[in-house]
Amino acid sequence: MASDTRSTLELDLSASIGRFAQANSDYYAAQFSRIQTSAHRCWSFNKAAALFGPLWAGARGAWGFFWLFAVFELTALVQFGRGLWGDLGAEKMAEVYKLKQRASEMLAQAETARAAGDVTGATASQEIGENLGLAAQSMLLEAEQATAGATTFLIVGLGLFIAIRIAMGFLANTVYEKQFTRWRTDHTIQTGLKRSNSLFAALMVVIMYPLTLYRFTASKPDARLVEFPVGSEYYVKTAKVLESWFDRTAVAGQGVFDGITAAVQAFLDLLELILVDTPWPVVATFVVIVAWQAASVRVAIFVGAALAYLGFLGFWETSMITFALVGTAALICLVVGIPLGVWFSKSARAYAIARPILDLMQTLPPFVYLIPIIAFFGTGKVPGVLATIIVGMPPCIRLTALGLMQVDGHLKEAARAFGASNRQLLLGLELPLAMPSIMTGINQTILLCLAMVVIASLIGAKGLGQDVLVALQYVAKGQGLLAGLAILFCAMILDRIVQGRFKQRDDSG
Amino acid sequence: MDDLAIELEGVWKIFGDQPAQIVEDIRREGLSKAEVLEKFNAVVGIADVSFQVNAGEIFCIMGLSGSGKSTLVRHINRLIEPTAGKITLLGQQILDLSENQLREIRAKKVGMVFQHMALFPHRSVRDNVAYPLEIRNEPKLRRWDVSQRMLSMVGLDGFEDRFPTELSGGMQQRVGLARALASDPDVLLMDEPFSALDPLIRRQLQDQFLDLSAQLNKTTLFITHDLDEAIRLGTRIAIMNDGKIVQIGTPEEIVTNPADDYVRDFVKDISKLKLVSARTILVPMDDYIPSPGEDLSQSPRTNADTDLDGLVDLSITTSHPIVITDPEGNDIGVVSKDRLLQGIQGGQ
Repeated sequence: MASDTRSTLELDLSASIGRFAQANSDYYAAQFSRIQTSAHRCWSFNKAAALFGPLWAGARGAWGFFWLFAVFELTALVQFGRGLWGDLGAEKMAEVYKLKQRASEMLAQAETARAAGDVTGATASQEIGENLGLAAQSMLLEAEQATAGATTFLIVGLGLFIAIRIAMGFLANTVYEKQFTRWRTDHTIQTGLKRSNSLFAALMVVIMYPLTLYRFTASKPDARLVEFPVGSEYYVKTAKVLESWFDRTAVAGQGVFDGITAAVQAFLDLLELILVDTPWPVVATFVVIVAWQAASVRVAIFVGAALAYLGFLGFWETSMITFALVGTAALICLVVGIPLGVWFSKSARAYAIARPILDLMQTLPPFVYLIPIIAFFGTGKVPGVLATIIVGMPPCIRLTALGLMQVDGHLKEAARAFGASNRQLLLGLELPLAMPSIMTGINQTILLCLAMVVIASLIGAKGLGQDVLVALQYVAKGQGLLAGLAILFCAMILDRIVQGRFKQRDDSG
Repeated sequence: MDDLAIELEGVWKIFGDQPAQIVEDIRREGLSKAEVLEKFNAVVGIADVSFQVNAGEIFCIMGLSGSGKSTLVRHINRLIEPTAGKITLLGQQILDLSENQLREIRAKKVGMVFQHMALFPHRSVRDNVAYPLEIRNEPKLRRWDVSQRMLSMVGLDGFEDRFPTELSGGMQQRVGLARALASDPDVLLMDEPFSALDPLIRRQLQDQFLDLSAQLNKTTLFITHDLDEAIRLGTRIAIMNDGKIVQIGTPEEIVTNPADDYVRDFVKDISKLKLVSARTILVPMDDYIPSPGEDLSQSPRTNADTDLDGLVDLSITTSHPIVITDPEGNDIGVVSKDRLLQGIQGGQ
């Protein structure tokens, strides 16, 4: 009769819960129905979860629940274990023993000194010995207190453990009901009890619990548990193999490396010639006018002020070298990166291959690139530029590809329907529409290049980075701060000019 | 101009792996769309579609979402490659063309209007309209000249230097139409051009399109999901369902003689007054049994092309049935009041 009053939805749900829970399906149907009908938080206690704890969670496939509570429970058990087996006063007792020994040694020294007639030496030793004795006394007191605290640990640990299990009991049905809801749309989620998962959960508990308990309660745990039980043999061997590989590659590819170096060097020399050797008033005026044209009068005034700072504080030449380095690196990044971005936006397969490489380039700490660069190209400005290129390239590639992929498919189709060739499509439609994204990429590339040029001073790239490096080595705070500010102004000059151009475009579109 | 502009023969489009194999299996075993999805995890977009469009006619393809009509129209200019079949456009085998020849055809012979307008947001209205000419590397002055004329033809004088986003939806679609006409194509492909517009604007644009069409005499393939629109615009209508063409005919044929329940369901609510002519509902002179004392010589006379609306007007003025005559003035049949009412209802 009771079932007649239930709606078809409820009947349907309870059947579905039955298929989901499998074991004990009636219990779960009733509990889930309570949770689903109550408007507020519903207290439903799962005895199996409270009794078996993480094992229940594992068997039901609630792995988040399993790991969270396994860690909590283990923490409680460690407290309990320390109270039960741990020799809490042991470390302090060892200290007391050491102190007592030192004290008696000192007193013995005082005796011999006195016997030899050295009164001042004897008094000093006597005093030290007595002080040590006092220290030993207070340490002994602490040790005794610690031993007495064992009971507290025992009770707190046990209490925590029980509280955690009760919490698990109360949370289990709510968590399991959520899993049921997810299962409704995603049938890969585990249903019922699974033997393999139960075994896995049990295995995890059997490995984790005893080892952890042993590590924290034994007074002298096995060294193999505390530290990874290997010496330096793997490390040395692998490093040697890599070393010889680097050497061989450097020799074998010398022609290529020298060619790259010569090409970058030539370009760098040209830029340095323009920026460093041109009289400073010409360069400064030019930069200010470019800022004015590309951005606004306000930006031009700011740029003028920043250039004045560089000039008055004697950073003019080094900052121009920095600009030449950044300019060379950024230009190469764009010339290589934008076509790569275009290619990746067209070929899903090429992008799938390139994506992990780009991820790696962006995840590794920048100065790691200095190692292969030193191995193949040595030190100096050109290797600095090459390391900078590796760091600066990814955003330009990614944002170009992203911008192109975001161009509306309807528009591309329309262009093709009017007979546009691939080239016309790219130049006339896709690149203009992707421009905001590409400009963001260019901006990021330039700023990353500047940051890396500073780091590249570690391998002799000169410029402002070197000033900071020298200041660091001599702990010259004032100089370091001034050089740091110079770098900041260089970054802002570049950023404002490039962004100003982009913002103007944005407004008109 | 009575020759064929577009001809499709047995065109198939299957989305999935190994489509050619699937077409063969469907032909051999007669699988349904659901079975193909089940068996090959492939979707049948177009199933064995054949039709012909005469030069100068407006050929409407009508169907609901997912019936394959938009996919079908993209086969005409090969934006989508068919899995099997033959497509002839203006006497050329579209599928045999090289990439360059195809672009040539698209740029010179075919104009296209899209449901989502697809105007280029970074170009002015003028440069949007001139785009097909720019693709053909026409000099700027000529591009602008043509663009100006097209915009004035669709009534958008003075909007040349605006950007598309500054225009209302109806105006944007007129720009789309102007762009499609800019290269003076022989064939217009219109993919639900007025669907996204509100009913009033849609009506205006339909009228404007009919006017233009009468002036320019372009062969038009018009896709719509709205049977009213298809009837207003179409010389002939093809009705699509599940990738197949269910029926092809003039609006009158479709309305008076639906091929199956699917079409009948659409036609149900369509007003027949302007669509059905006396020819369809008359009772031939030989079969007509006059009621006693009836004298047909008193009846008003009209020709066989008069629509139901005209017949109603005539019928109001007299108590006699209406006699239908052929062009020579001979009586060929009779429409009684009962028959007329049945005709308005849509009965035969």
